[in-house]
Amino acid sequence: MERELMEADIVVASRLSFKKKQAYEKYPKAQSSSRRWKHLKQILQAENFPDLPPDLPTYVNIESPPSTQPCKRLCDITGYEAPYVDPRTNLRYANAHVFQTVRSLSSDQVHQYLSIRNAAVVLK
Amino acid sequence: MAFVSRIRRQSDYNTYPSSIPIVIDNGASYFRIGWAGETEPRVVFRNIVQRPRHKATGETVTIVGDLDPSMMKYFDCTRSGPRSPFDSNVVYQFEIMEYILDYAFDRLGANGSGIDHPILITECACNPVQSRSKMAELLFETYGVPAVAFGVDAAFSYKYNQLHGICKKDGIVLCPGFTTTHSIPFVDGEPIYKGSSRTNIGGYHVTDYLKQLLSLKYPFHSSRFTWEKAEDLKLEHCYIAPDYASEIRLFQEGRKEAEEKTRYWQLPWIPPPTEVPPSEEEIARKAAIREKQGQRLREMAEAKRVSKINDMENQLISLRFLLKQVDQVEEDDIPTFLSDTGYASRQELESTITKVTQSLRKARGEPKNEPAEYEENPDSLNNEKYPLMNVPDDILTPEQLKDKKRQMFLKTTAEGRLRARQKRNEEELEKEKRNQLEEERRRENPESYLEELQAQYKEVLERVEQKKRLKTNGSSNGNNKSGGVGRGERLSAAQRERMRLLTTAAFDRGKGEDTFGSRDEDWQLYKLMSKDNDDDDEQPDSDEAELARLSSRLQEIDPTFVQKVEGELSQTSGEVPRVRPLTEEDYKIVIGIERFRCPEILFHPNLIGIDQVGLDEMAGISIRRLPHDEKELEERLTSSILMTGGCSLLPGMNERLECGIRMIRPCGSPINVVRAMDPVLDAWRGASAFAANLNFLGNAFTKMDYDEKGEDWLRNYQIRYNYL
Repeated sequence: MERELMEADIVVASRLSFKKKQAYEKYPKAQSSSRRWKHLKQILQAENFPDLPPDLPTYVNIESPPSTQPCKRLCDITGYEAPYVDPRTNLRYANAHVFQTVRSLSSDQVHQYLSIRNAAVVLK
Repeated sequence: MAFVSRIRRQSDYNTYPSSIPIVIDNGASYFRIGWAGETEPRVVFRNIVQRPRHKATGETVTIVGDLDPSMMKYFDCTRSGPRSPFDSNVVYQFEIMEYILDYAFDRLGANGSGIDHPILITECACNPVQSRSKMAELLFETYGVPAVAFGVDAAFSYKYNQLHGICKKDGIVLCPGFTTTHSIPFVDGEPIYKGSSRTNIGGYHVTDYLKQLLSLKYPFHSSRFTWEKAEDLKLEHCYIAPDYASEIRLFQEGRKEAEEKTRYWQLPWIPPPTEVPPSEEEIARKAAIREKQGQRLREMAEAKRVSKINDMENQLISLRFLLKQVDQVEEDDIPTFLSDTGYASRQELESTITKVTQSLRKARGEPKNEPAEYEENPDSLNNEKYPLMNVPDDILTPEQLKDKKRQMFLKTTAEGRLRARQKRNEEELEKEKRNQLEEERRRENPESYLEELQAQYKEVLERVEQKKRLKTNGSSNGNNKSGGVGRGERLSAAQRERMRLLTTAAFDRGKGEDTFGSRDEDWQLYKLMSKDNDDDDEQPDSDEAELARLSSRLQEIDPTFVQKVEGELSQTSGEVPRVRPLTEEDYKIVIGIERFRCPEILFHPNLIGIDQVGLDEMAGISIRRLPHDEKELEERLTSSILMTGGCSLLPGMNERLECGIRMIRPCGSPINVVRAMDPVLDAWRGASAFAANLNFLGNAFTKMDYDEKGEDWLRNYQIRYNYL
């Protein structure tokens, strides 16, 4: 280790006195970490939600419902109010000037604009 | 104001007796750890871990928290990105959690053979029991902690503010955090989780939105917009508009207030060095050098030519001598005589002589007589080479027939070559004529001619560019990919075209039913697909040739013409091709409407595509979900609404929330929205105050409890917040 690094002291030491079992013993390098740990979705599936009393608040229970207010339609490019939708690309735009820009976008950019809004169609 | 990490190693660990608990605020953005009873956490850092490989030794090391860029040169960071133990707001990767805890305890000064203090750690509301039990297991078994307690950070913040009189014992806490936003009602000082609600939107999404918007607006500078930079911009410039619709109208109409609200970010830009027109001496000197070089080249060429002429003359002399000898020798002896010289017959010799004389003449630079000679030759050749041509077929032997066929073939090819040459001559004449015409036109009316040419050039350029754009569509802007473009990429235009044809053609027919294939013509679709591939390659050639011709022409006559280089095309897709050099303006990033468009998603998650309620409606949902039926309780709740959490630092949040909640509550009900004293640190402070209370151990559980009572008990475990 270089001296500069040692002085900066940013690295976690591999052997710590207050630990009963060190990290390198616990996690041999072979396994990839993503397969070892369950993601949130899997954790939630593993919980037996139907078995519990229905009025007990759980992680899934307290999630908020969809909004009852009408959805705001904003232009994808400028952020203004957008009463119009381009039929070819499904992007919302505010006026004719923006429309020209919409039509001149490459399909990659169109895809990105739509994916911000979660409206992109991904073909596999 | 950016959050600052505090990571100096503390030295007073041993001065604390083992009854003093350690308080940890384990948040998705920052990790705070300190001693109970104090007002400031000792160690604060970002909750991420990187495991790069050390370049020199090759071992993998762990680095926790924000990186110091100057130290990074020692590490190879290609295979390690920053990893967080959180998935949304739940801890799921306990290996990373362990590294973080290692680092935190180490910085706190721990050096004994275990952590001897009880620990109070925060978690999210209604944490799944698996995550909770793994965390408890980690703390008990790896660190040897005697007792552990879990609490919700928003609740601690509320209690702390209640202690200081900011909010009352009945109220609602709204906590927009890093990845999620919670709203939890309090009745009699205890949080009622049944009435709580969570929306999966937070500061992370706001920053991400800002980053994507800026990257798409300025694709040229997309590499500048890193996540950290976007976060800095958000902290400095974003605010919440009291009414979104009227704000955007300000900008749309271009009013003066909009101008004031726009911020400009100037990227460093160095103007290209203006070429100083070379002075007179420079020009003269350069010309002299060039002249000398030219002279040298010319001399070399001359010398070579002279030597070649000499060689050829010698050869000619020897050949003529040989010919004379052949003449002297008799007819029959010719073959033997010539066998050692390499020529088969007299004619061959003569033809070689003529060839050499011709090339000699060319070398000497005499005017070409070749066309004339060539024209003579066919006639003479006709008679010599094709003796059998005119003889009718029936008197010839089979061998002679074969010969005749060969001679016919030779003759036709020779004639074809002649014809091709004539055509080429004609074409050249035509071109000459056209050029002359154009020259005349130019001389008559130079300006309009120039304009015409420029217009033509622009048109052809546009066509060529569009074709290029269609072909190589995504590959150049691929580096600013944001989420959502996952496996659906199709890098070649051919595949994309194929997909488009399949989906549109198959969908166009029948309402809901898929009747593709019942008619034979449907299958012609597949012919279209591969035909599209070939089509693309042939056409651009003519356009590109036209483009080259026009650009060379323009370069000759127009002094201000700057040729559009191919390389720049890919970067300016979507813009009109710039035929002017880049200016300072292009490097100015305008952040006007994004300032309040990005935090708007906290109130309208639909803008991002998340189908849930926003902040203002969450308060209403909480009230609705509470199992009660007293109207006064609702009024009490709304008159003490606390804002806490990092995102609540955005300016304008209070007024907007008040407006929003007023919209959903009955008219005239009291609404009072207050912000916590320190939205970022209050959670830790509340937890610290809670832990300092003598009753703390009654709320914590020990390893024995955990072993005996099992998971179900852990699920129902809640601490009681009322310690007043």
